[in-house]
Amino acid sequence: MNFHHIVLHELILAIIVVLILVLLLIITVLGYSFYSYRILHNRHTWKQIIEYKIMETIVGSDRNDEQDREFSKHLKEPSFRLLFLEVLVDSGRKFSGAAKKAINRLFYDFKLEDEAWRKLRQRKAYLVAGGIQELAAMNVEAAIPEIKAKLDDDRAAVYQEAQYAMVSFQGYEGLEFLAHFDKPLSDWQQLRLLSSIHHIPELSDVQVYSWLKSSNDSVVIFTLRLIRKFRLMTFYPAIYALLDHLATAVRVQAIRTMQAIENSTTIGQFITCFDQQPIEVQLEILKSMKLARSKESEEFLKEQLLNHPKVSIKILAAEVLVVLDGGQYLREISQKEDTYDELIQIIKHALQEKKC
Amino acid sequence: MILIAEDDELILRTVEHKLVKEGHEVVLTRNGQEAIEKIEESDFDLIVTDIMMPFASGIEILSAIKRHGKKVPVIVLSSMGQEEVVVDAFDLGASDFMVKPFSPNELILRIKRLTNR
Repeated sequence: MNFHHIVLHELILAIIVVLILVLLLIITVLGYSFYSYRILHNRHTWKQIIEYKIMETIVGSDRNDEQDREFSKHLKEPSFRLLFLEVLVDSGRKFSGAAKKAINRLFYDFKLEDEAWRKLRQRKAYLVAGGIQELAAMNVEAAIPEIKAKLDDDRAAVYQEAQYAMVSFQGYEGLEFLAHFDKPLSDWQQLRLLSSIHHIPELSDVQVYSWLKSSNDSVVIFTLRLIRKFRLMTFYPAIYALLDHLATAVRVQAIRTMQAIENSTTIGQFITCFDQQPIEVQLEILKSMKLARSKESEEFLKEQLLNHPKVSIKILAAEVLVVLDGGQYLREISQKEDTYDELIQIIKHALQEKKC
Repeated sequence: MILIAEDDELILRTVEHKLVKEGHEVVLTRNGQEAIEKIEESDFDLIVTDIMMPFASGIEILSAIKRHGKKVPVIVLSSMGQEEVVVDAFDLGASDFMVKPFSPNELILRIKRLTNR
């Protein structure tokens, strides 16, 4: 009896303890949810206040003392200042001209530079990258030496942002890092860098030639894209030489670049090298011929259509022939008695594509 | 009366304030569908529209204007890399375009030119 009484007592105690723990857990979850809600709500309200301030500065409207006091009060909050900086950088991407200058003025007037510098000197990669982005967006040239040092950082987020910042500050000269860069330059990063270069200085040939010879394939590909963007004809022979490059991706980009800066020898060179190339490069050559629309490639295309072992090449060759007004030839081939079914289908497909 | 269709609040408010300062009456919309409804309901002197917007794009707005036979100048705001869409916009009757980042002052000048004010 006594034994049962003790067990029951302990059981009740255990239930009470579990209930208290569950209650504590519920209170913690509710507390955390409320805290998250407050942060989100604050962010939303603060963002509105900040955007109003930016808009007011851009349009140059009359200042309201009450709103100014309210704004100054918020500025004492470190998280508000960080959000202000974030919104300011984002707004800088939306406007140019006088509006952009007004945004930059706000950055200095409210000493947000300090926040950006502090982020630059943090340990966490995303904070450092954020600091670089903010200092570059606000054109703080004093930050160039420190950002330049980040080009050698091992963390992708940091060195990528540093590369972009250097190009934003210095344009083409900011690409100096390519000479010793040994990591892959992602496609996205290449496009970002390219979009920030608006001019190539004279006497840049030596540097461009050295990048074309880089052991880093992504650097070679980026250089080819750069040549395409600025139509740098003088590099044509060096690009042609890249058709022997070990990397297929480089050869594909070389074909695209040769097409972009084509001359009277281009189609002939495509035809000459065709057989030695892997299938990806051969497809690219045919695509380039489609863009070039040169009659010089007609016989070559007919040969590929009839004799190439790969169907994908036959299909593309037929499509290019259609573009070169070879529809009649294709119809004749398809009506011949000895033409096999697959070829008839390929031709029908190419003629149908033309109609679409 | 000028209609501005733009989902970015800062751009929307900035352009609105600039235009009000210039003495224009301004109607704001934050999505493409709402813009099309407003165009069906009222006649505007000019429309400024972003290309990418929720529910209906700037291109759909231009198509709606054409469908309703409305003769109204339209300035299209586009982002970098949307060149092909801008060509489509001109085919559908856009009068002018600006690429973001853009200068609000320049936009006001273009609006002045198109509204003869």
